[in-house]
Amino acid sequence: MLAAIAALLTVSIGVQVVRDRGWQPYQPQTALLWFQSGPLLKRVSLGFQNLMADTYWIRAVVYYGGIRRSVEKNRDFGLLDPLLTFVTTLDPHFKVAYRFGAIFLTEAYPNGPGRPDRAIALLQRGLEASPATWEYSHDIGFVYYWWLHDYKAAARWFERSAQLPGAPVWLKPLAATTLATGGDRQSSRQLWRQLGDTDIDWLRRSAQHRLLQLDAMDVVDELNRLVQRFTSREGRPPREWRELIASERLRGLPLDATGQPYALDPLTGRIDVSPQSTLWPLPWPREGTGPATP
Amino acid sequence: MVLAIEAEGLTKDFAVGFWRPRPYRALDSLTLSVEAGEVFGFLGPNGAGKSTTLKLLMQLLYPTAGAARILGQPVGDTGVRQRIGFLAENPYYYDYLTAEELLAYFARLFGYRGADITTRVSRVLDEVGIGKERRLRLRRFSKGMIQRVGLAQALLNDPEVVFLDEPMSGLDPLGRRHVRDLILGLRQRGCTVFFSSHILSDAEALCSRVGVLVQGRLVSSGRLSEVLAFELKGWELVVAGVSDALRPELARLARSVTPFGDGHMLLHLAADAEPDRLLGELTRRGAHIVSLNPVRETLEDYFVQVVGATVARDERGVGA
Amino acid sequence: MRAIWFVAGAAFKESVRDRVPYTMVVFAVMMIAASYLISELTAGQDLKIIKDLGLAAMSIFGLVIAVFIGIGLVSKEVERKSVFALLTKPITRPQFILGKYLGLLVTLVVNLSVMTVAYYLVLFYMETTATATMRASWAAPALDPRQLIAIVLIMGELALVTAVALLFSTFSSPLLAALLTLGLWVAGHFNHDLRQFEQVVDSRAVAALARGLYYLLPNLAPFNVRAEVVYGIPVAASHVGLTLLYAAAYVAALLVAAIAIFRRRDFK
Repeated sequence: MLAAIAALLTVSIGVQVVRDRGWQPYQPQTALLWFQSGPLLKRVSLGFQNLMADTYWIRAVVYYGGIRRSVEKNRDFGLLDPLLTFVTTLDPHFKVAYRFGAIFLTEAYPNGPGRPDRAIALLQRGLEASPATWEYSHDIGFVYYWWLHDYKAAARWFERSAQLPGAPVWLKPLAATTLATGGDRQSSRQLWRQLGDTDIDWLRRSAQHRLLQLDAMDVVDELNRLVQRFTSREGRPPREWRELIASERLRGLPLDATGQPYALDPLTGRIDVSPQSTLWPLPWPREGTGPATP
Repeated sequence: MVLAIEAEGLTKDFAVGFWRPRPYRALDSLTLSVEAGEVFGFLGPNGAGKSTTLKLLMQLLYPTAGAARILGQPVGDTGVRQRIGFLAENPYYYDYLTAEELLAYFARLFGYRGADITTRVSRVLDEVGIGKERRLRLRRFSKGMIQRVGLAQALLNDPEVVFLDEPMSGLDPLGRRHVRDLILGLRQRGCTVFFSSHILSDAEALCSRVGVLVQGRLVSSGRLSEVLAFELKGWELVVAGVSDALRPELARLARSVTPFGDGHMLLHLAADAEPDRLLGELTRRGAHIVSLNPVRETLEDYFVQVVGATVARDERGVGA
Repeated sequence: MRAIWFVAGAAFKESVRDRVPYTMVVFAVMMIAASYLISELTAGQDLKIIKDLGLAAMSIFGLVIAVFIGIGLVSKEVERKSVFALLTKPITRPQFILGKYLGLLVTLVVNLSVMTVAYYLVLFYMETTATATMRASWAAPALDPRQLIAIVLIMGELALVTAVALLFSTFSSPLLAALLTLGLWVAGHFNHDLRQFEQVVDSRAVAALARGLYYLLPNLAPFNVRAEVVYGIPVAASHVGLTLLYAAAYVAALLVAAIAIFRRRDFK
């Protein structure tokens, strides 16, 4: 009897496997949300809005992660923002949804929708719901600092966050340095180290990646100073590494943290991380907007 | 002396129909009394109102008019319930309790405590013939076994009056026999028994008095022999080895002749056919007598007859 | 009084031998499976989701027991006629109703207690396996005893829903009683909107009707403090006390109504 049941179940699984090869459930061209309004959903959830928020949060995480992993050319993160709005309307105290939601939203294309403005709006809603949470102000400051390079605004938010109960002691000096020097790399390191202190693998990896990029930026700046020295001495930029290594007595071809040699532009002589390196491209263009090394 | 059961003008109407409910009279001014120690058979065809009467006596139904008393107290009195037992028609108890647990539960409601509960429960279970099965959950019981559990719970408190609604239904011949013996035992103990049935032989064997209920009306009550003067309607005779010469003569003597297998013949004779003479005649002429039975009016015949009369009276009443 | 306890005991025994224990097993399995799956799925911070899920499940399972078993306890007895044997014993109909209610209440308390233990065991596991950073990100400690406040209020809500189910089952069929009870439960959670409705309508009659319904229908939203305890937001003792008092008063009214109906009922 049991064997028969097991056999029939196996058959049904087999049939399902065969069917799944040739059949896909209908999926609309553009993904849709069932409910268009958070407040309506809240009412319909009959007291189970927190559970509903959790469900939508898991959906948002799966949605974001799914697109990040997909090989599609045209990635569309269009539903991310409405999903996060749902989650936070249903459960206005869902801290992780605000904080990680903001991280998802700010990630630049193709790793995310690259919408720091929406991230700030999301975090500000979190702040409205629980004004005493220092993390939201801190995160808004971070978005201004890292993604929008608005150091005045960043300093203001760090300052505000530092006033709130439970805020870490390093926030006050961070606010001060941000205001004084713009985005210096030391502050950036501090912020990323803080973010990287987590159990979530991808976030830790992302923070480590940013820290390596920050190191690489120091190295690139240092190498570019050598290039400048070479140019002013020789009257022309170096055409290849050999020239620079010989004249500046380098110990060989400089490699970045991933083991890739830095790239030297034979026309301008400018040095950057190699496009083959996973560190490429470095977070912001070094000309103009880049922060000065102290 | 206090009567065991009295009913005075007991009447019950039910509303039938959902949209325009009309009253339907299930019981019409029943007046009846049963003395202590009697075994009273409440007879009638299905749907006559027997169960309705029992439920009114148990206050499972509230009467439209009239009143009833048990042991001198109005029905529904909690004190009286301490002294009576009741078995419903086609009873059902809780699937998830064992027979023992069910009876212990009822025993507690009767106010018994401790060891008294255990002894009482095992005594009544023995009385109704439930053995090792008493430890099984009731969902595994057959209909007949449930009926026995029902009898056991009705006897749990050594009642002075026992009400049994169709106690024989669902039982095999052995079970019926058992219940009959139980009721006779109760009678000997001086317990009053009020039971309903639509089967005459039960009543014949047990009752000191009967009441006959037809279409909600008590049409007669009294001793069984007074109420039902069952007259002889004829004889049923089965013979074998009838010669061809004898056949036309048999056809003349009997009301009907029905041949069946092996040369046997079934003869219906009139009540005044003087079978002794006929039998002698038949054996002398080589026929072999297989059986001879008197045919009496049955309770069913009686019901049909009374129902017919009641309906006819109603129709005349309407016509007038 | 003793008779009430005997009926309650039998009702408890019956429901425990019926399907109630399965719900506890399902709850425990679900909690364990969910805590494992969710930690895989979400970006950390699964404690909050586990708490949400556990408290919501207690509430839903309790509701299912209260509605379906609660209705079965009276209307099944009437429908299958087992009530005949019981009501011809020395017991009054009010005692029967109160006993059934008490029996189901005990069932729910036991059921909820077992689920609470399973819930805290899962939380204890999470507490012991959490790293310092995870713990720092929690809004409230894993084993926060204040969660018991939410569970007590869930019990209060279930006590009320059970009384509603009992009332309906005294006069209607099991299916209808279940639908009516669930309907009233939904209405009880929408009830809060009636207050707002009152402010938006122009017609005074409609406003008065909305106000009347608001006070008449059971108001179940105040029993839900699950979000508060999950976030460690304090719940005022006065709120808990008044809500439980409200439940007690409402339950008493429902039971009196159930008794009044059941008392005059004919069992055909």
